[in-house]
Amino acid sequence: MSDATKVSPIEALPEASREYGAVGEVSEEPRWGMAVDVERCIGCWSCAVICKSENDVPLGMWWNRILTKGEELDTPQTGEFGTLEMSWVPLACQHCDDPPCMKVCPTSATYVDAEHGHLVGVNQDDCIGCRYCMAACPYGVRVFNWGEPEYPVEGFDLGMVEPRPIGSVEKCTMCIHRLEEGQVPSCVWSCPAQARIFGDLNDPESRLVRTIEDRNGTQLLEEKGTKPKVYYLEERRRRSL
Amino acid sequence: MSAVATAAGTAERRSWGPIWYGLLTGGMVVGLGCFVYQWINGLAVTGLSNTISWGMYIISFMFLVGISAGGLIVAAGAELVGSERFRSLTRLAVLLSGAAILAAAISIMPDLGRPQMVWRMLRQPHWTSPLIWDVLIITVYLSIAAIDLYILTRPNPRPGAMRTMAFIALPAAVLVHSITAWIFGLLVARPFWNTALLAPMFISSALVSGLGLLIVTAYVVDRTTEWEPERGVFQDLARLMVWFIAVDGFLLFAEILTTYASRVPDHLKQLNVLLTGRLAPVFWAEVIIGVVVPFVICASRLRERRGWVVAAGVLAMVGVFGKRINIVMTSMFMPLVGLEPGIPGGRAGQEFAPDPIYIPTWVEMGILLGLACFVGMLITLGVRYLVAPERTVRA
Repeated sequence: MSDATKVSPIEALPEASREYGAVGEVSEEPRWGMAVDVERCIGCWSCAVICKSENDVPLGMWWNRILTKGEELDTPQTGEFGTLEMSWVPLACQHCDDPPCMKVCPTSATYVDAEHGHLVGVNQDDCIGCRYCMAACPYGVRVFNWGEPEYPVEGFDLGMVEPRPIGSVEKCTMCIHRLEEGQVPSCVWSCPAQARIFGDLNDPESRLVRTIEDRNGTQLLEEKGTKPKVYYLEERRRRSL
Repeated sequence: MSAVATAAGTAERRSWGPIWYGLLTGGMVVGLGCFVYQWINGLAVTGLSNTISWGMYIISFMFLVGISAGGLIVAAGAELVGSERFRSLTRLAVLLSGAAILAAAISIMPDLGRPQMVWRMLRQPHWTSPLIWDVLIITVYLSIAAIDLYILTRPNPRPGAMRTMAFIALPAAVLVHSITAWIFGLLVARPFWNTALLAPMFISSALVSGLGLLIVTAYVVDRTTEWEPERGVFQDLARLMVWFIAVDGFLLFAEILTTYASRVPDHLKQLNVLLTGRLAPVFWAEVIIGVVVPFVICASRLRERRGWVVAAGVLAMVGVFGKRINIVMTSMFMPLVGLEPGIPGGRAGQEFAPDPIYIPTWVEMGILLGLACFVGMLITLGVRYLVAPERTVRA
């Protein structure tokens, strides 16, 4: 699908950018994870948009999106002392260590393995499109190819990831194609507030693990026992508007 | 039956037969056409979205698995208890089970995004998935129905054969409904499904709807062919129905009371969709039409009149279908992470849909029509050649 003249945008990056996005040192068997600093997130949707172009996600579908706490998407909520507050929950696949979606997949199209950095992957060739995984995911982060994919402009795809067939399920891959080149996922790289920290959960010395410990990082719907590899770092102070 | 009546019956059948077969064939052609259309264009032609990702196909799958219960259980029960009256229904009952379970297996196909890949379930089955176990048990169940039918239509069936089969059929019937329930009940993501009562409730609803189908078809076959069940069998079926509905209603009440009284937030939110929210009309209709009215009919002296028993059978089936809608939709309406803007719809121009509605499209209705006609055709042909073949000899 990608023609030969196309250069991978990762290869095309200037040296400084590559350095900025480098994953750095990792353990022998990395277990990729992420922390989202809710205190830093400004709800700008940059990561959601770059995710779409990075992964050629068709119109109407999002692998990564920003949820607003409260009743409305763009309306602040009234806080404890009558102050107006706004905060966000950036949401994509949580890459659970015990993923309900993988357990219910009848063909093992959804899988988790050590070679894949313990990330939750989908092999669309094996997907029969039963959408059982979508029913099983507590986070609602899986999207289905309902019809022919549509893109905002011709030639939208960067050609770094395989297109997904009609009738199959897809979701965040933690930009596995970037990880293979030693680069962090594009949502991490692109965040203007640097609200995302990427790293190896198997390396106790990594900045990721240390920050999760310092800030008492929490997992979404922890009580469901899915053991997500994405942690949320809650606000340490109230932010009023 | 007198010779005059037979002649009249024959004439009537001759005139209505082709129309009936024509309607069923037409419906099946429409269904097949819709399926092909959907296969080419993708599931975008349905009313489904990423939030409500399961709809009418799954609802009718659950319903079809359910109505397949009545037959084998009544047939096996007749064997084990030795009820002569029920034995007159055995062939018809087993035929209904076979037809419904075959249609249930087929009804999964239009729900798949890539039906051409379904063979991968056999090549690389993932045994932690309840879906694989359901495929297995449905195959077993279908085989049992086929073997039963074979035994029953032999000229001189071996007396012990059906009894032996009954011992296999009953556990298989319990399993087929339980495993279908566990497709839903084992998901932590859907609090409303994630209850240990789901499998028992599936069995009880299956018995109600399956018995309803048996009553209705027995009546229709009795009216249109020379096949005749034993006298008083409808009253016996009504007596059985009283128990089935009572258990089904009790389990529903127990489930709702537990949720309502313990007030677990996620679970309660979904329950309120049923009790007072958007699905309330379907829910209360289900309770009144599917539980209260048929129970009163079957438990009172109204059951002495065959027409009332048939009405109760129809209402019980309608009620259970409503229940299937409620079970699927309640969980789909309420994703666990319910923050704005919710789950993206999935198609170009479609908005995020935290609070969506689902309206099945004509394609979905067409496929359902095709399925219904397929079941009708299987039953009609089965009745013609297996249940009441004497009919053709005399005509």
